Amino acid sequence: MGTVHARSLDPLPMHGPDLGLHPDDAELVEAEPETKQEVLENKDVIVQRVHIDGLGRTKEDLLGYEIADVFMAKNLIDVMKKSHEAREKLLRLGIFRKVEVVIDTAEGEDALPNGLDVTFEVTELRRLTGSYNTMVGNNEGSMVLGVKLPNIFGRAEKLTFQFSYGTKETSYGLSFFKPQLGHFDRNICVNLYKVTGQFPWSSLRETDRGIATEFNFPIWKTNHTLKWEGVWRELGCLARTASFAVREESGHSLKSSLSHAMVIDTRNSAILPRRGALFRINQELAGYTGGDASFLKEDFEIQLNRRLFWDSVLSASLWGGMILPVGDKPASIADRFYLGGPTSIRGFSMYSIGPQSEGDYLGGEAYWAGGLHLYTPLPFRPGRGGFGDLFRTHFFLNAGNLCNLNYGEGPRAHLQKLAEYIRWSYGAGIVLRLGNIARLELNYCIPMGVQIGDRICDGVQFGAGIRFL
Amino acid sequence: MSLAAEAFVSQIAAAEPWPENAALFQPLKDDQVLLSDCASSLAVQAYLRMCNLPVQVCCRANAEHMSPSGKVPFIHVGNQVVSELGPIVQFTKAKVVGCVSGQGLSNGPLSCKRHLQHCAEGSAVFLQGHSLSDGLDDVQRAEMKAYMELVNNMLLTAELYIQWCDEATAAQITRPRYSSPYPWPLNHILAYQKQWEVRRKMSAIGWAGKSLEQVYEDVSQCCQALSQRLGTQQYFFNKQPTELDALVFGHLFTILTTQLTSDELSDKIKSYSNLLSFCRRIEHNYFQEHERPGLDPLSIRPSLM
Repeated sequence: MGTVHARSLDPLPMHGPDLGLHPDDAELVEAEPETKQEVLENKDVIVQRVHIDGLGRTKEDLLGYEIADVFMAKNLIDVMKKSHEAREKLLRLGIFRKVEVVIDTAEGEDALPNGLDVTFEVTELRRLTGSYNTMVGNNEGSMVLGVKLPNIFGRAEKLTFQFSYGTKETSYGLSFFKPQLGHFDRNICVNLYKVTGQFPWSSLRETDRGIATEFNFPIWKTNHTLKWEGVWRELGCLARTASFAVREESGHSLKSSLSHAMVIDTRNSAILPRRGALFRINQELAGYTGGDASFLKEDFEIQLNRRLFWDSVLSASLWGGMILPVGDKPASIADRFYLGGPTSIRGFSMYSIGPQSEGDYLGGEAYWAGGLHLYTPLPFRPGRGGFGDLFRTHFFLNAGNLCNLNYGEGPRAHLQKLAEYIRWSYGAGIVLRLGNIARLELNYCIPMGVQIGDRICDGVQFGAGIRFL
Repeated sequence: MSLAAEAFVSQIAAAEPWPENAALFQPLKDDQVLLSDCASSLAVQAYLRMCNLPVQVCCRANAEHMSPSGKVPFIHVGNQVVSELGPIVQFTKAKVVGCVSGQGLSNGPLSCKRHLQHCAEGSAVFLQGHSLSDGLDDVQRAEMKAYMELVNNMLLTAELYIQWCDEATAAQITRPRYSSPYPWPLNHILAYQKQWEVRRKMSAIGWAGKSLEQVYEDVSQCCQALSQRLGTQQYFFNKQPTELDALVFGHLFTILTTQLTSDELSDKIKSYSNLLSFCRRIEHNYFQEHERPGLDPLSIRPSLM
C-alpha cells in the first residue's frame, strides 16, 4: 500500500486530519444580500467579541490563531466569509465533531452600535474513539481496526493505533501526530510499526519493524517532508521453490535512512483529476546514520491533466527512479524498484517486468514509466447526473522499462540501457471512482515489446488502487 | 507442493549427475560460526569427501536464514537445496549412477552402486553416487543409526548447552560471535532472541535443570560409548567409513580444535586415545588430499562388481 514502485511497506496513512468535506465537492457559500440587508452590506461593522463555547480539554492558545482573522472583518459579508473560513480551520484541526457559527449584534455595556459578536459553538470529539474500516491499496484490500485518541494534550495532538489485516499484508502501528500552534500545515509525526507482507511475484516474505519520524512543512506552494526512518527488515522465502537468488537475500538487515520529499499538487482531486498537475520528487539516503543498508535512491512522479472538448480529459504521467548502492554491497531486493501490473504498465502481471530468476522477479535499479490517457464519459451517458458520473471510459497508452545499471559507465550509457527493450501496451477500459479514496479499473489491454521472462496479462485486466500510472 | 509431488521432483532431480559447482553454505568461518554449526558443517564436508563428491565451501553471514530448515549447513546442488546431514545422506544415496560410453548415456537403477566403466575410445566420464553404508547388513545399519542418534542427542545438545546456557561462554564467546555481522542495535536483538530460543528448547527436552558438570559427565559417557564401539578398528564399521564416522569426526575434531572458556570439554575427549587417533586418521586421509599432486576430484576407484 502507498508508494508502490519501491515496494515499500509504508504504514497506512496515519497522519493528517480527517477532512470534513471533499475538496472537489466543496464550494464556498456565497451569501446573497437580500434587499432588507442591502443597507448593512455597506455598513462598517466591528467584531467586538469572538466566543468559543463548548471547550473541554482543548487549550485556548491553540484556537486563538484559527479565529484571529475574524477580528479583521470590516463589513457583514466579510464577517460571514471570515467566520466560514475560521470554521473550516477549526474543523481541519480534527478535534471537533461539529462547529456552528452564530453572528449576533454585540450586547453588553461596552457594545458599539455597529458591533458584532461571533460565537463558535463546538462539540469536541470524545477522548477515545474506535473505528473499523476497509481500505483499498494497490490491488489489495484490507480490514482496518483503529483506536484513536484525538486531542490528548489539548493542542490537537493525536495518538492512533491501527491494526490492519489484508490480502497481502498484516500490520499494526502506533502513530503520534502534533501540529505546530497556528500553522497546522507544519507538523511532526512519529510512527512505530510492524508490517508483514507477502510478495508472490518474487516468492518473498518480508517483515518490517520500524520507527519513523517525519516533519512536514509547506514552503510557498510546495509541501516538503523530512523523514528519518529506522527499520529492522527480515526477508524470507515464501515457498520451498523460491529461486536461489531470492534465497540468498534471506536474513535480517537494518536500514536507517533520511529522506526528503517535495510535492506540488494543483489537481482538483487525487483520484480522477480533471485539471491541474502533480510533481513529486523523493530522495532517500541510507547508511549514514547506522544500519547496514547503504544507498541513495531518487524517485519522481509527474502528472498533467487537461480538459478537452465534450467533458473529456487528457492526462499524461511520467514516473522514474534510480537507486545507487553506496559501497560494494548491491542493493537489497527490498529496496529495488518493481514495474508492471494493473496500476502501472497495464497488460503485464503484477510487478512482472524486468530481471528475474527462475520465475521470481528481482526488481531493478532504475526504471521509467509513462502513460497517456484519455478519459471520456460513458458512451450514450447512461445514468447522467447520478450513478453514471462515477464511471468514465478510458483509452490508454503505457510504456516503460526496468533494468539494472552498470554504474561504471556514464549517464549516456544508462539512458541507452533504459531506452532499449521498452515494454509498452495500449487498450481501453472503464474506470469507477470510489468516493475520494480509490479507483477501480477494468481494461482490455494489448501488451507489446514483451521481453523473455516478463509475464503478461493480455485481454481483460482488473485493477484497484489509489495510485495509477 | 504435496509430499508425493515433492518426492517425485526430488527423484527426477536426483537423476542428474553431481554438478561441478555444488556448494556448501555455512556461517562466516573466522568471526561468526559457532561450535555446534562448525561441527555440523565439518561432518557434512567429511561425508561428502568420503563419497568423493566435490563441493565448494561458501561462507555467508545469512547462511542460517538461507537454509530451508533454519539449520546449517546446507548444500546447493543443481537447483536443489538440502540441509542437515540426514537429508543430505538421503539425497546423495538417490543419485543415479551413470556413465558415458561410446554408446551414449546409460543410467543405472536408482539404487546405489559404485560403478566404473572405461570407454574403449579412450575418453571416459565417471559419475559416482555413493552410499557409504551399502556394505552393512540390517543389524549393523540399525546400530549405526542408533549411534548417530546418540551423537545428535548427546554431543550436539551438550554443545548447544555450553554455548548458550552457560552464561560465561554465552557472554564472552557465543553472543559476540553470533551477532558479529549485524549493526547495532540489531546485533543485541538477534543474539538474545537466539539465546532465548535455544534455552526454551533446552527446557523442553529437560536439559535446563542440568549443571555444567552434569553436561560434561554426559559428554564423557557418550565418548566412552563411542570409544568402546570403535575399539581398535580403523572406522566404526568394517574398514570403510560410513556417515557415522563423518558425524563423529565432525563433532570431535571441532571440539578438540575450538577454544572455549575452559578446556574441560576437549580434555574429556583427549582421555580416549583411540578417538584421537580416529580423528587424526580421517583428517589425514580426507582433508589433506589436496596436497597430493595430480589427484582428480573424481578419482578412480576399483569396482566391486
